[in-house]
Amino acid sequence: MRKTPLQKLLLHFANIVVIGFILLPMAAVVIGSLLAEKNLAGDTRSIIPGEMTLDNFRVIVTQGAQRGQVFEQATYLPDNVKKIYHALWNSTVISISVTLLTLIFASLSAYTIVKLNLRWVAWLLTVNVFARFVPIIVLMIPLYVVFRKLGLLNSMWGVVIALTGFLLPYGILILVPYFASIPKELDESARIDGCTRFSAFLRITLPLSTPALASYGAIVFIIAWNDLLIPLILNNRAEFMTLPVVIASLVGDVFVVFNLMMAICLIALTPSVVLVLLLRKFVVEGLTAGGVKG
Amino acid sequence: MNGSAPVHRFGRELSPRVLGVVMNLPTLLILALVLAYPIYYAGYLSMHRVTLVQLRSGVFPFVGFDNYLKVLEDPLFLLSLGNTLLFTAFTVISEVVLAVMIAILINQQDIWTSRITRFLILLPYAVPPIANGLIWSFIYNGKLGFLNRLLYSVGAIDSPIDWTANPDTALYAVAVPYIWRTLPFAILLVHAALQGISKELFEAASVDGAGAWHRFRHITLPLIMPVIVVLLVLRTSFAVAVFDEILAITQGGPGDATWVASWYSYKKGFAPPFDIGAGAASAFLLALLVATLAFIYIKLLYRRVD
Repeated sequence: MRKTPLQKLLLHFANIVVIGFILLPMAAVVIGSLLAEKNLAGDTRSIIPGEMTLDNFRVIVTQGAQRGQVFEQATYLPDNVKKIYHALWNSTVISISVTLLTLIFASLSAYTIVKLNLRWVAWLLTVNVFARFVPIIVLMIPLYVVFRKLGLLNSMWGVVIALTGFLLPYGILILVPYFASIPKELDESARIDGCTRFSAFLRITLPLSTPALASYGAIVFIIAWNDLLIPLILNNRAEFMTLPVVIASLVGDVFVVFNLMMAICLIALTPSVVLVLLLRKFVVEGLTAGGVKG
Repeated sequence: MNGSAPVHRFGRELSPRVLGVVMNLPTLLILALVLAYPIYYAGYLSMHRVTLVQLRSGVFPFVGFDNYLKVLEDPLFLLSLGNTLLFTAFTVISEVVLAVMIAILINQQDIWTSRITRFLILLPYAVPPIANGLIWSFIYNGKLGFLNRLLYSVGAIDSPIDWTANPDTALYAVAVPYIWRTLPFAILLVHAALQGISKELFEAASVDGAGAWHRFRHITLPLIMPVIVVLLVLRTSFAVAVFDEILAITQGGPGDATWVASWYSYKKGFAPPFDIGAGAASAFLLALLVATLAFIYIKLLYRRVD
């Protein structure tokens, strides 16, 4: 199946088109975040109007204290953006807590599904497949009303619990086939050595499942970091907002200019993009395992 | 492992029955609180009159199927449902076709640019959907937008185009960023299936004189068909729930051109006049749609597992 030079050229060209499409929004957000307000509005035809500047980031990290040299119009900074450190902290704490909790709960359940021959536990897998498909939008209104009754609105716990519940089924679906692929003999020999089922789970199954746990952990972290709807509905006070909620609050604000928005978007997307590129192998394995094997 | 422990310690071992309950307790509790009860409660709310007034008083009068009738008779809901189906059909078909093409492209071991694509392919998956939406609203903007700037610099346009202002094309303008963000998953799935196909099959076909299209049609396609089916169902059930990009780029506009079902539920329940009952009813109808799809998915896939 040797390719002719023309075929090779066409394939290279196709790759360039795909890479261009992937990078187009990345170029927009990076360039946009480095532009000055007056240049963006002053020259509407160049890709890079005027000189680049880090002033957008300076305005955000100093919470509006420093305006920067290149802003000639008064740059208006919404209160939510001034709380950017809260948002960064909330996003980090929530994503990490959700990742840890889902990993623990999902592996406990997945183990029982694989190793214990109980009818209702096997049935749990079907429930999880269904649950995986429930759109957040359907839960939104009842979650709001239920959490309002429980006093969980405007708290970190509310968002952590809701996201954990929402991501748990997906985790169980990823871990079940992986646990099932671990040879039974290992488990049995540990039991003969005097381990209880639970300590065989802790000492054999879990350590052998590190790759699957890493895959699933990375995916959960990213979904939790990126999620908008749950924190949007449950937390509306600025000090409990996550980064996506802060971004969403800028949408209707006509006074916020694109260069500032792009800078905030870049801050929000950098951690998850870096994580994905670092853990590429694990993420790919997790994503394809959840879809193909099941 | 304790060296002095007896070979079997049945005295301390929990029975599988008890262990099953204990180990599943956290999952069961949290699924009950976050999924089961809210789904039941969505059904309850959808059968009761619930607005701000009732939320304050705590008394929700029973109204039967009135909310459903109200929603189903609302032209805006029907329009939103229509837009949802159009959006879903467009994104799902484009994604399946593009995913197969790009998966084959990145599977070319002897093309060095394919390695770069393979490295970058996952990047859009990591971008927060709301940030993705906002980035594209900068790209699309008629006056200041990035896309017009690109087109000016290559001399493709003379006057600015407002990409999301046309009601006939706005829905497709929102579909592109959605496809951008969700395509990596589809590509990876197909790519994983491609890697499972043995090279000998292709070589044998080549020896027999089969051309590239012939090989694709008679070897690749039948072998990746199961994955394509999975992809169709997964992508369909997620596309019917699109929300973030709508919020960031068009907020349902221009006019009502990009109102989709999830946007309708959100606007009903969380914007004046806060008709939570009707919002829940519309969300429940969407859930029924998704449940049907999930059912098909289970029928197609999970009967193989046991």
